[in-house]
Amino acid sequence: MRKLFTLLFCLGTILVFAQKITLTGKVTDSSDGSPLPGVNILEKGTNNGTSTDLNGNFSISVGPGASLTVSFIGYSAQEVVVGTQTSLQIILQPDNVTLTDVVVIGYGTIEKRDVTGAISSVNNKDFKDQPLVNVAGNLQGKMSGVNITSASGTPGAGLLVSIRGAANPLYVVDGVPMLSESNSSIATSFDTEGNVVGSGQNISSISDINPNDIESVEVLKDASAAAIYGARAANGVILITTKRGKSGKTKFNFNHYTGIQQPARKIEFLNSKKFLDLIQEARANDLALYNDDNSIFGEDFDSSVLTDPLNYSEDGTNTVWLDEVLKNAAIRNYEVSASGGNEKTKFFAGGTYFDQDGIVINSGYRRLSTRLNLDHQATDRVSIGVNFSASNSSNRRSFNDNTYTGIITNALGASPLMPVKDEDGNYADYTLYQVNWLSDNPVLSANEIRAWTKSNRLIGSVFGEIKLHENLKFRSSWSADFNGVTDDQFFSPITADASAVGGKAYTSDFQQTTWLSENIFTFNKSVGKSSINAIAGYTMQETSSRFTSLSGQGFPSVSGLENLSSAALLTKGTGNSTSFGLVSYLGRVNYELDSKYLLSATIRADGSSRFSQNDRYGFFPSVSGGWRLSREAFFGERDWLNELKLRASYGVTGDQEIGNFQNVSFWQPARYVGQSGLRPRNIADPNLTWQTNKSINAGIDFELFKGRLSGSVDYFKSNKFNLLSNDIIPATTGFATITRNKGEIENRGWEFSLNSVNVSNDRIRWNTSVNISFIKNEIKDLSNDGLLLNAYSDLSPTHILKTGESLGTFWAVKYAGVDPQTGDALFYNVDGDKVPAAEVSTDDAQIAGKAIPDYFGGLNNTLQVGNFDFLIATQFNVGNSIYNLIKATYLNMGWSNEGGLDQVYANNSVEVEKRWKKPGDKTSVPRASFINQNYVENSTQFIEDGSFFRIRTLSGGYTFKPKQGGFFNSLRVYAQVQNLHVFTKYSGFDPEVSSTGSSDQRVSGIDYAAYPQPRTYMIGFNLSF
Amino acid sequence: MTMKTIKYLFLALSVLSCNVLDQVSPNDVADGSVFDSEDGANAALIGLYSSMQSRDYYGGYYPLVADLYSDIGTAGGFDNVALDEINILDVTTANIITENIWLSIYGTIAGANAIVERVGLVSDPGFTQTEKDHIKGQALAIRALAHFDLLRMFGEHWNSSSAFGIPVVTKIQKASDVVARSGVSAVYDAILADLTAAATLVDGDERSTEFMNVVAIKALASRVQLYRGNKTAAASLATEVIEDGQYELLDAGSIEKIYTSPYRASESLFELTFDIQNRSAYNAATFSRTNALRTEVLFLAENSLNSFFADRPGDVRSEFLDFENNDESILPDGRSLKYRGEETRDNPAYIIRLAEVYLIRAEAKGLAGGLADLNAVRTSRGLEELKSSDLGGAEEFIDALLDERKAELNFEGSRMFDLARTGRSTDVLGIEAYQRIFPIPLREIIATRGVIKQNPGYPD
Repeated sequence: MRKLFTLLFCLGTILVFAQKITLTGKVTDSSDGSPLPGVNILEKGTNNGTSTDLNGNFSISVGPGASLTVSFIGYSAQEVVVGTQTSLQIILQPDNVTLTDVVVIGYGTIEKRDVTGAISSVNNKDFKDQPLVNVAGNLQGKMSGVNITSASGTPGAGLLVSIRGAANPLYVVDGVPMLSESNSSIATSFDTEGNVVGSGQNISSISDINPNDIESVEVLKDASAAAIYGARAANGVILITTKRGKSGKTKFNFNHYTGIQQPARKIEFLNSKKFLDLIQEARANDLALYNDDNSIFGEDFDSSVLTDPLNYSEDGTNTVWLDEVLKNAAIRNYEVSASGGNEKTKFFAGGTYFDQDGIVINSGYRRLSTRLNLDHQATDRVSIGVNFSASNSSNRRSFNDNTYTGIITNALGASPLMPVKDEDGNYADYTLYQVNWLSDNPVLSANEIRAWTKSNRLIGSVFGEIKLHENLKFRSSWSADFNGVTDDQFFSPITADASAVGGKAYTSDFQQTTWLSENIFTFNKSVGKSSINAIAGYTMQETSSRFTSLSGQGFPSVSGLENLSSAALLTKGTGNSTSFGLVSYLGRVNYELDSKYLLSATIRADGSSRFSQNDRYGFFPSVSGGWRLSREAFFGERDWLNELKLRASYGVTGDQEIGNFQNVSFWQPARYVGQSGLRPRNIADPNLTWQTNKSINAGIDFELFKGRLSGSVDYFKSNKFNLLSNDIIPATTGFATITRNKGEIENRGWEFSLNSVNVSNDRIRWNTSVNISFIKNEIKDLSNDGLLLNAYSDLSPTHILKTGESLGTFWAVKYAGVDPQTGDALFYNVDGDKVPAAEVSTDDAQIAGKAIPDYFGGLNNTLQVGNFDFLIATQFNVGNSIYNLIKATYLNMGWSNEGGLDQVYANNSVEVEKRWKKPGDKTSVPRASFINQNYVENSTQFIEDGSFFRIRTLSGGYTFKPKQGGFFNSLRVYAQVQNLHVFTKYSGFDPEVSSTGSSDQRVSGIDYAAYPQPRTYMIGFNLSF
Repeated sequence: MTMKTIKYLFLALSVLSCNVLDQVSPNDVADGSVFDSEDGANAALIGLYSSMQSRDYYGGYYPLVADLYSDIGTAGGFDNVALDEINILDVTTANIITENIWLSIYGTIAGANAIVERVGLVSDPGFTQTEKDHIKGQALAIRALAHFDLLRMFGEHWNSSSAFGIPVVTKIQKASDVVARSGVSAVYDAILADLTAAATLVDGDERSTEFMNVVAIKALASRVQLYRGNKTAAASLATEVIEDGQYELLDAGSIEKIYTSPYRASESLFELTFDIQNRSAYNAATFSRTNALRTEVLFLAENSLNSFFADRPGDVRSEFLDFENNDESILPDGRSLKYRGEETRDNPAYIIRLAEVYLIRAEAKGLAGGLADLNAVRTSRGLEELKSSDLGGAEEFIDALLDERKAELNFEGSRMFDLARTGRSTDVLGIEAYQRIFPIPLREIIATRGVIKQNPGYPD
C-alpha cells in the first residue's frame, strides 16, 4: 500500500507559489539513515506542498516564517519552522502510533482510523529474525483474540491457530486464498498392527511461505471484516502481504542467524537403582497384602512372582533414554534480498535458506525459498505486476511423534538397565530387557525408520490494473498455485515393525493445482464532506489434486537399497484424484461522512461445487459502522485524548470445509479374490449446504497523550449455525455418520489490547504492548448430545460433546487421592463412593476440565537506547487443562503388566519418589504395586492444569551506522533466546501440546509424548547496503 | 480496454464458471448408477464380500473378540482399556471395539440390502434371471449371517421368548430411519427365511469355498437352528451338508492344511479369503512376529488353554498353540499358531467348516445319536473314540462336546456363544448372567434417541 501512496504523491500536482524563498532539503529515516522518497511536505495552513524525490530530496517555495508539516505513512509527522536557512535535513522517526497505519483488508486497504470491524495487524518489524518455520508462529502472543499454540516441537509442523475460538482460519497470501491443510500422507500414529489410530502431527502447507518475505499480517476477526471472503471466512481470515519494492536506490539486505536448540524441558526418570527399588517395593507391598489375605489376587495366583528373585539386577548399566534420543541441534538461516526501482518499475527479490536440525535425533526441516514481486506502471492508466514465489522443503520426519510406538514414547518408558547397544555392538534387543511397554529400541527406531516429506511449491500471480475513469479502476489478477508433496518412509529389516517381512517401504506423491481469477472494480469519490469507496467483483477458483501411493516389503538386508524397485513384493497401491470449484460475486461500500461517521457494507455470494445445485450458493452480508467521537465539535480539543472511536458490526460468514463430494451417496472401489467391486462409501444428505456464522462485534479504539497510549476494547459474540458436522446416525442405516448441517456453537468474549510508548526521546524509546482475551466457547445445540469421543481410536473415550460445555471437554474418572492407610489410589465411582482402581471403568467417568483456556494473551516490550535495541516477548494461557495420557505409562508405580519375574510395564519418572510408603503417609502419589494397576489411565489423576506464562523471545542488538558514503547503510548484530522459559505447573514436556496434532477442537488437549519443544540460542546480523 | 471488452471478458468468465461448479468424482460411483448393468451388480456382490473383510468383522476382530470374552483368550497390548474390558469380562457401553463390530456388521447388511432390493430391477439384456438369482441368493445368505452374528453377540439368542433380539434390517435405509430391536424369535425367523430363500436362489452346482455356496448356506442354517433349539431341523440340515460328498474331514496328518497357504482345505465350506494386497488382521493380532512381546499381540491364548490340551494327549490340535517359544513377557500365556502369515498377512476367516457341522449334528442329536459324530471329529484329530460309558449322561455329553468345540474352534470365534447357548457362561467364566452378551453400544442408543433399548443388567 505504501507504494501506492508514494505513487500518488509522486504524480500529484505540485503547486508552487511565486514570490517566496526556495527551500531545498532531504528527508531520511532515523533508523538506518536511508533517504525517504514520497514524503509529503506541506506548508502549514496552505495547500502549498510537494513530496520528496527518489533520493529523499525536495524543493519548495514558502513564504517567510512558514512552518512545514512533514509527514509520511508509518512515520511520526514533524513540524519544522523555517527560519532563514535555505537547506534542511529532516529525520523522520518511525511511528508506533497505530491509528494512522494503513491496514490491509480483503481486496483493498484502509487507514486504521477508518476501520469499523475487528482487525489485528502485525508488521515485519515485530517478527523478523525469529527462528520459526511457520508464519503463525510469529504471531503467538501478539494479537488479541488470536490464540496460537504449538502442537509439538516437530520441525515444520503446523500450529493450532484459533481466532476468537474458531480453529482453521483462511490464509490469503497477496490476495490468493491458500489451503493450509497437511498434504503429507505419512501417518504418524500407528497401533501395533500398523493401523492408523490418530491423525498425528500434521505438516502445514503454510510453511511453504517464508515468514521473512512477509511485510505484514492482518487478521480479520469479526464477520464484517471477514465477510468479503464469504464462504470460507467463518473461522476468520489471515491476510499475508509480502514485501514489495519502493522506488529509490536499490537496497540490498543480507540477514543471517545461527543458533543451537536444546530440549527446553526434560522429564527426569528413575535410574537403575531407583527403578529396581521401586519394583522391589511394589513386590513387597503386594506380598504383605497376600500374606494378610492369600485370596486377594485370585485362586490361581502363584505367589512366587512376589518372592522369587527377579530375573534381572543392577549391572552398572544406567541409560538415560531421553538423552539418547534428544540432542542439541543447530539452526541457521541465510537470507538475501534486493528491493528498489524507479517511478515506473519496482521490485523485491529475495532468497532464503533455512535449516533446522531437530532436537530428536534424525529429524529436521530445510527450506529453500525465493520470491520476486514486480510492479510496473505501463502508462498513466495501466499498471501491471507479478508475484512469484518458489520453495522447496525437505522434512525428515520423526517416527510416530504421537503415540505408542514412537521414538519419544518408547524413550519415556524404556528401562535404565537396557543399553542402547549390546556388547556385540548391535542395537540392544528390547524384548530381552525389563520393560514390556517398548515396541522397539528407541534409538533403533530413530535411525532405522527413515521418513522424508518433501514439497515443491510454486505460487505465481499476474495482475493488471486499469484506470477507467478518474474515480474508477479495474483490476484483474490470475493466480496459480502448484503444490507437489512426496512422502517416503522406509523401515529397515531390523526394525520391530518390519522384521517379519524383511523391511518395508511406502512412497506417495500428491500433486495439487489451484487456479484463481479475480476481477475487481474499485470506485473512489469524494463529494463535499462525504467520501465513498466501493468495490464490486467476480472471482472463480478451481482446485484439483491427485494422489498416488505404493507400499512394498522384503528388502535386501545389507544393500542400502530403499527404493520400491528393490522390494520383493508390492503390497498396496492407491490412486485417487479430486477437485472442487468456487465461483463468487462480491461487493463492498465504505462510506465516510465528515471523517466522523463511517459505514461499511459488504456482500459476497459464493457458489461451491461441494453442494448440490439447489443449495450451491450462499449469501454472506455484513454491515458495520464507526463513530469518531473525537472529531465531534462537542468533544472539543483535549490534550490527553486524541482519538476515540466507537465501532459496531454484524455479519454472516460461511464454511464449506467438509472435503469434496460429500453431497452425493457414493459407492467406492473394493476388492475380493482378485476381483474389483464396489461397496457403499457414504450416505449423503442431498440438502447439505453452507455452515453459517453470525457474529456481532462492538469496540472502542482510543489514543491518549498524543499517541503515547493507544488501544482497543472489543466485545464479540459469534454463533456458528448449521454446523457441518459428522453426526452419528443409527448403525442400522449401514453407516456410522452423515455429514450434515446441524448444531450450534457460540464463542463470546472480550478482547483488550494496549500499546504504550513509555519513553520516547532522542536516545531512548521504550514501548510496551499487552493484549488479553477472554473467550467462552459453548456448545448450544447438538444432534447427538452426550457423545463420547476418543482422541485415539483404540483408547477409552477421552472427550465428551455436550450442550452447555465447551468443545474439547474431557471425560475421565475422578481421582480421589491416595488412601493414607493402604496407599491405594482411590477413585469416585458413579455413586460418588471412593473405590480402588480396579472397581471403576468408563461408566464412572464424568466431565473433567477442558482444553480451551479461559483467557490468553501476551506482553511485549521493546527498548531502544541509542544504537542498542532490546526485545522481550511473552505469551500466556490460563484456565485450560491437559490430558497427559502418556503419563500413566511412566507413573505406573512398578506395575508388572503380567511380566512376572522378567518384565514390568515401564520405567517411572522421579515423581514416584513422592509415593506412599507407609500407613499415615499423605501424598497424591499412590503406593507401588506389582500385580495390580494402582492407577487409572483415563482419570483426573492424569489431567493437569495447562496454564502457562512463556518468555518466548528475548533479544538484544546493536546497530552500526557508518557516516554517509560508507560501505553499508547499517549493520545490526544481535543475540536472541527463543523460548527462554515457561512458568507452568504442567509436568510434561510442554503445556503447548496436542498430540492429535489436528485442529479438531473436539479432541484437543491430549499429550501423548508429542515431540518436545526446543529452546534456541542464536546470534545473527542484518546487513543493509 | 474498453467497457465492451470488459463485458466480453465477463461473459467468457461466466461460461467458465459453470464448468468450475460441476465437478465429478473420479474415484467413486454415484449410488444411482451402480445397478445399471450386470457388471455393476457383480461389482456390488464383490463389494459385499469386501465389506465383510473389515477388521472389525471377519477381517479379524469379530471372531477374536468372541474368544477373548471366554476362557480361551487373554489380552495383550499396551494397556488397551477397551480390550482389557473384554478380557476381564466387564464390558462398558462405551467400549470402542464392540461399537466398531456393531457398526461394521450393519455396514455389511446395508450392502446386502442394496443388492437384494435392486438386482432384480437391473435391465441388461444379457443378464439372465439365473444370474440375478445367484447374486441375490448370496446377498441374502450374507445378510442372514450378519444378522445372526449380531444376535449371538448382542442379543439373548438362547431364549426365543426374549424381547432382546437385535434390529433386523431388510430394506435400504434413509439416514433418518430407525429400526427398533425385534424379539429373538422374530430375528431367527428373518435369518432362516433369508437362508431358505438363498439356498434355492444360488446356483446349486457352485461349490467355491471363497463364496457363499449352497452347502455353506445349509451349514449356516443348521447352526442357526441349533442355536434356536430346533434340534431336528439342525440335524437334518447337517446331514445334507455331510452327505454332499464334496467335503471331508482331514485326518490328523493333514489338518494343518486348513491353516496354511493356499488354504481352502477340503474341510472348509465357506472361507473369507484375503491376499497380500487385501490383508486380514489375524496374524498381526494373534502372532505378530516370532520375537513379539506381550504388548505387540492383542489376542493371546490363556494359560488355561495349555492345561486344557495337556489333558488331551494325542490331540494334534495342540500343535496350533505355542506356550513355550514365546518371549518371556507373554508367558505363562501363549499364542495361537493358526494364523502364521507374517509375510503375507493373508490368513482367511474360517466362517464355517465341516468339523463344526459334525459337532452341530452331534449336539442336535444328543448323546444317543450324536456320539458317533463327536467321535468322527475326535478320531480325525488323533484322539481315541469316546464311549457312551465314559459319559454319565446328557450333561456330560454336552461338556464333552463343548470341550471338543473348544479344541477345534479356538481362535475361530465360537466359545463365547457356545457357553451362552448352553447356559454355562456363569459357571465357566464366573460372570453375572446378564454378561453372557455384550451391551448395546452407547452410541447406538444415543443415535436412535433411545429407540434401541439396552440389554437388561447393563446401565442405560
